[in-house]
Amino acid sequence: MREQRRKDAVWKFLTYSFILVMTVAMMVPLYWMIVAATLPQEEFIQFPPRLYPGTHFFENFAVLHAETEFVVSIWNSVFIAVVYTVLSVLLCSMAGFAFAKYEFRFKEPIFYLILATLVLPIQLLVIPLFLMMSQIGWMDTFRAIILPWLANPIGIFLMRQNMRSIPDALLESARMDGATEFQIFYRIALPAMRSSLAALAIILFLFQWDLFLYPLVILESSANYTIPVALSGLEESRRINYDQIMVASSLAIIPLAILFLVLQKQFVSGILAGSLKE
Amino acid sequence: MARIDITDLVKVYDSGDESIVAVEDLDLGVKDGEFLVLVGPSGCGKSTTLRCIAGLEDVTEGSIHFGDREVTDLRGSERDVAMVFQNYALYPHMTVRQNIGFGLKLSSSLPSAEIAERVESVAEMLGITPLLDDKPKELSGGQQQRVALGRAIVREPAVFLMDEPLSNLDAKLRAEMRTELQELQHDLDVTTVYVTHDQTEAMAMGDRIAVMNDGILQQVGPPEDVYRSPANEFVATFIGSPSINLLTAEVDGTTLSGPAGFTYELSNPEPVEGRSRVRVGVRPEDITLVKGGSNRATVSVVEPMGNENFCYMELGEHELTARIDPTLRPQAGEEVAFAFDESALYLFDVDTGEALKTKTDAVAAGIGTEAR
Amino acid sequence: MSTKHTSDGYHRLWDRFRSFRRELTERTPSLTRSQVAYLLISPFFVLFGLFLLFPIVYTIYLSFFEYQGVGDGRLFYVDLGPIFFEVPRIAELQFVGFGNYTSMLADGLFWQSMFNTTYILAIQVPIMIGLALALALALNAGFVRFKGVFRTAIALPVSANIVAYSTIFLILFNETGFINYLLSVVGVQPIEWMRSEFWARKTIVGAVTWRWTGYNMIILLAGLQTIPQQLYEAAEIDGASRWEKFRYVTLPQLKPVLLFVVVLSTIGTFKLFAEPYVITGGGPTNATITIVQYIYEEAFVGSPNLGYASALTVVFVAIVSVISIVQIKIGGDD
Repeated sequence: MREQRRKDAVWKFLTYSFILVMTVAMMVPLYWMIVAATLPQEEFIQFPPRLYPGTHFFENFAVLHAETEFVVSIWNSVFIAVVYTVLSVLLCSMAGFAFAKYEFRFKEPIFYLILATLVLPIQLLVIPLFLMMSQIGWMDTFRAIILPWLANPIGIFLMRQNMRSIPDALLESARMDGATEFQIFYRIALPAMRSSLAALAIILFLFQWDLFLYPLVILESSANYTIPVALSGLEESRRINYDQIMVASSLAIIPLAILFLVLQKQFVSGILAGSLKE
Repeated sequence: MARIDITDLVKVYDSGDESIVAVEDLDLGVKDGEFLVLVGPSGCGKSTTLRCIAGLEDVTEGSIHFGDREVTDLRGSERDVAMVFQNYALYPHMTVRQNIGFGLKLSSSLPSAEIAERVESVAEMLGITPLLDDKPKELSGGQQQRVALGRAIVREPAVFLMDEPLSNLDAKLRAEMRTELQELQHDLDVTTVYVTHDQTEAMAMGDRIAVMNDGILQQVGPPEDVYRSPANEFVATFIGSPSINLLTAEVDGTTLSGPAGFTYELSNPEPVEGRSRVRVGVRPEDITLVKGGSNRATVSVVEPMGNENFCYMELGEHELTARIDPTLRPQAGEEVAFAFDESALYLFDVDTGEALKTKTDAVAAGIGTEAR
Repeated sequence: MSTKHTSDGYHRLWDRFRSFRRELTERTPSLTRSQVAYLLISPFFVLFGLFLLFPIVYTIYLSFFEYQGVGDGRLFYVDLGPIFFEVPRIAELQFVGFGNYTSMLADGLFWQSMFNTTYILAIQVPIMIGLALALALALNAGFVRFKGVFRTAIALPVSANIVAYSTIFLILFNETGFINYLLSVVGVQPIEWMRSEFWARKTIVGAVTWRWTGYNMIILLAGLQTIPQQLYEAAEIDGASRWEKFRYVTLPQLKPVLLFVVVLSTIGTFKLFAEPYVITGGGPTNATITIVQYIYEEAFVGSPNLGYASALTVVFVAIVSVISIVQIKIGGDD
């Protein structure tokens, strides 16, 4: 019995150590980002480096702001991601509702066509989209970044799956109450789906937020850059120092990290929803 | 308030190449203020019929009138009906107050203040006033049930339609709500069509009951009539619990002889005249265990119910059920003799199931049988 | 009383709106349900056809051509006075048949990028899944406290922007960076991470692992929580050791989720672009250039070989689709 208890204690110790080590490992890059962002460049590049944050964040930020248009990029990214998310959630839930709750001709073939594109890495349609956008004069515009991904196959798939769980009786009840089909959609189906909508919104927001290759190709002027494009630009332009790049990175990560902490439940359900593609 | 007249109703579902007939040539009238129960096994077309009345399904053929108004092609919201669904179908994101008021808000021209008043008074009638600002998921099953009722009542419709509204409640609550629903319907005096698969509920609640099977209306009548004089073997089997005992017997003049030596002498052989075989039915409560007799069966199980005992017996391959006095406790394996009155005997056609003879005893005579 | 008054005003306004709405509903011809359905799907489907179906077909088409420049002239146009709409010829192309595909076979850089991607994948995916599984198991253990805190901390990188975290790793693995400092503390010579083929690839592995371990842990944790507790209790009564419980209860029960996570991660790592682009720039001497990065460079850096890049895309998408189909097969089993 005592032997067993000692074994258990060792096991517990090992488990905790592992969790702690991994937690620390996960925190190190973020910590280092903060250290780098709050030190002046000279102090940061010395070896051995200073291991704790300084107070130079705002100075670094001021230089970044003066020499680059990074603040505009943050705004661009937020604007694009929010507009995209709202529109795409609306579009996907409309179509998902139709596929889940109505009968119409060619319903199955259309749905399977959409389903088939689910397996494609759609971010790789960069070349034809680039050609299309340059032909219709949409290069360097936000609409070129937003529109192509609105009809997101994952979005419609998730919405169809979730909308199917709405009891038919609920819709019929609304019909009896005198609601039109559109009222049924936005007064009954959408509010009843609130948590799935939140999960989908997070999937779509992260998708757009992390889009890099495509905006890198489409966006030309730095005033239109999104965060990832702007950051990769900073990293290439040698006149910008690491302290400023790290300020930029912090600004790119910290708001979303806070969002993650606040909306953790929705993030997790978003991840799980996104991973359960049948 | 309105009379409902359903004439030659046909509902066919087309699914690809095959079409399924859900309701066949249904004619049914519901009187003004009546409580009619549509009952039958699942898939018998009772819900489809209700949904046709509600306007949730398009009618393939036939017509539906509410009073003098033809409603066959009207949308549900234009028919002046209210429906209570099996799972209540409460809008999960709305409070009880909003749930009850939603229909009035959308489709009536009442001013908001009056809608609010009506919601309040309905809530008071149902005793759910304290719950008005709760969301459905915070309520118990019984409370949700009341809200669903409230949502129907508040619209003051000409017709109430209820689709198995009590089937999600536990047994005790179901019995309570049964009474309450009946009282409510009686007070409001609104024509009601109520669908259930539970024959006990149908018997207990309906002014009249309409039994359906395979899309065909089998019989309509007051519960007692349907029980005592079923139109056919299906109705006899479906109504009554435990189920009626049935077996096939050969007819030889006035003698019926069944399996395992079962014989019965008819004093009035008129119903079986010209037939060689017939289906014989006896309700469990009409079977009595007797001291001596020619009809014998082996007891398999006795279930004590407290006020009575259910005695399951084997007659050859057949199982017989008898409801017997709680003081009688035959042992399993024991051979017992049983008997029943001819007045309690049902006879059905072997092929069509049509009733040839049903109970003929007077209602009061039942007491005499038991006293014996 | 004043509140009563304002609420009356509000009610009156609201009632007027309701009667307007009701009138509108009554006046507008009621649509059949299938018409409503078509209205609901049409915006999605138009965008889907325009920006997904067409580009897919066009990529395949393009892969049989050599790109010679942006097209001029128009394919057709619509002129409705105020609305003018034209569809231009998309590009000037020269048909080369399977030329792009055959030259791929002899393209050393294509094979190099395939090798790099596979190499990174073969190391990164097992490490990440192993860590994610171990973490999920540890955080699922009954005795561990502050689970929420640990889970949040480990999953935090999920929210990190892909380029932003890549730049952090660039600095972390700098010659004078934190990692080299740590090594110096334990007495190891600093490593020139970005100059060595071996270490550059390991840096990419480290970065991707950091970003996605928490993500996979969340999925695995959810999978673990669906395993019925009775199974463990039954195993306990049968005298199973910790390892045996893992081997005979957890692993078989978790298998579908685990396989799914593996395939998902494989595809994810296959699509690697931002990390090598930012951290190593594909170097040193193309040791970390990935397929997607190579497609990008062929198409958009220097002279645009869009036809060839399209052929590369087709091959790449074919590979990923095969993996995805395997994934669906696996996921479809339960």
